[in-house]
Amino acid sequence: MTREEIKDVILEIIADIDEEADFDHLDADAPLRDQLDLDSMDFLDIVMELRKRYKLQIPEEEYPELATLTSCVQYLEPKLKDV
Amino acid sequence: MADYQLIIIGGGLSGIAAGIRAARFGRKTLILEQHSLPGGLNSYYFRQGQLLETGLHAMTNCAAPGDKRAPLNRLFRQLQLSRKQFVLHEQLGSEIRFSGRTLAFTNDCRVLEEEIAREFPAAIDRFRLLRQEILQYDPFQPGPWRSARQFLADRLGVPLLEDILLLPLMIYGNAEEHDMDLGQFVIMFRAVFEEGFFRPSGTMREFLELLVNQYHGFGGVMRYHCPVEQILVDRGRIRGVRLAGGEELTAEAVLSTVGIPETIRLSGWNLPPEPYCGRMSFMETISLLPSASANGKEWQHSIIFYHTGETFRYQRPSSLLDTSWGVICFPENFQDQTPSEMRQVRVTNAANYSLWKNLSSSEYLSIKKQWAAASIRASEEVIGTYQHAVVYQDSFSPLTIERYTRKAQGAIYGSPLKFKDGATPWSNLFIAGTDQGFLGIVGAMLSGITVVNRHLLQ
Repeated sequence: MTREEIKDVILEIIADIDEEADFDHLDADAPLRDQLDLDSMDFLDIVMELRKRYKLQIPEEEYPELATLTSCVQYLEPKLKDV
Repeated sequence: MADYQLIIIGGGLSGIAAGIRAARFGRKTLILEQHSLPGGLNSYYFRQGQLLETGLHAMTNCAAPGDKRAPLNRLFRQLQLSRKQFVLHEQLGSEIRFSGRTLAFTNDCRVLEEEIAREFPAAIDRFRLLRQEILQYDPFQPGPWRSARQFLADRLGVPLLEDILLLPLMIYGNAEEHDMDLGQFVIMFRAVFEEGFFRPSGTMREFLELLVNQYHGFGGVMRYHCPVEQILVDRGRIRGVRLAGGEELTAEAVLSTVGIPETIRLSGWNLPPEPYCGRMSFMETISLLPSASANGKEWQHSIIFYHTGETFRYQRPSSLLDTSWGVICFPENFQDQTPSEMRQVRVTNAANYSLWKNLSSSEYLSIKKQWAAASIRASEEVIGTYQHAVVYQDSFSPLTIERYTRKAQGAIYGSPLKFKDGATPWSNLFIAGTDQGFLGIVGAMLSGITVVNRHLLQ
């Protein structure tokens, strides 16, 4: 998957979790949780959805890697390169 | 390999919500419900061609769609249900009638504040501070039990007002007698006074259909008429369940929503059940009458909490029923509901389970009828006479609740001692629902979600 595709997947997953999510003014380098007002339960859903779709096991200590859109792409790029 | 990754005992609201979470993330899930319909305590049945609901008066935690942190909206996100498409009807307005005093409240807490300013002018500043403190309190932080009564006494110092505030919050969500854990009080205060009452569009049937369809959509399996007879233990692990009739089903994990005492009985858990049997149970009488006979001014409220006498004693009564306090609900009195020819009124009072249990089967029906009449008479003191116009009437007792929900002793709010982490001595048996800690419809569903998230998805 390209970086652009990974970004789209993340946004699609978030849109699925939260029908109110507004990406118009999203800053890719600022924390997703604050900008989109997501709580820890929503955040867990991103992890669960990645696991369901791509069989990705993300250990809890690596959750901070998913903080911003840019860091998500950075973190997931090597893991999804063959998808 | 096990038949299922997860078996959930009980197709009530916590069980279905748990099932939706597990199935959504690909777990092969089975819900076993003993009854022919879903919903548990909050279900429905038909009499004389009319659908009657069993538990629901109103849902609490009303919230507008945009408020992402509101418990109701978090619940919808977790279940991947569209909040925008969910139509709810807010209450018209409710009242607390307490020994001659009346306080009205709506889903705007300022109304309650104004009422307190009028009835208890000396205490209004203290009430405002109390409200702020409640809004800032984190009830989900683990900590020792704290007395809500003491908390209120320290802050308000007006016993009558303290009782008035406790009446609806205890009736709608307190498993303990006499007092209430502060955390639970804060949850209920916000759910009832800050966020408020609503009803989903239609009846409980449509709401349950929405949930069950979502569960099926994610591939979850639901079986009705399947009472679980035993939770099977094998070398320190749960292996599955045995149904009445002998069928055995295996699972990697089992989630029980039938309460701690019943889970103890099913699993052979070495724990005395008595401390986990809630003592608060209720009897409810539902009356149907033509709308034309139900138009007095007292019939414009959504819910009336009433109390006669001096101090409020939230406890198991010493007689079969205590009609000196209770709740009267008018399910049709919510905003924008289509008027129907028939109106319902539901009256609920505290009941003594042991006394009901001791009745012989030959006297049960006539005594139930007798106490239903007493309950109606008590409610007529509050809302005016209506028994003469009633075309259909039905009651459920603590025994009915126990039979349909398996909540020991008909305790609708379950055990006074909760297992907040949902864990048991077995690493693959979990508790969700009323005995895990969250109460009410929204609470029960959040409980199912929380336990699955914590123990089965991570």
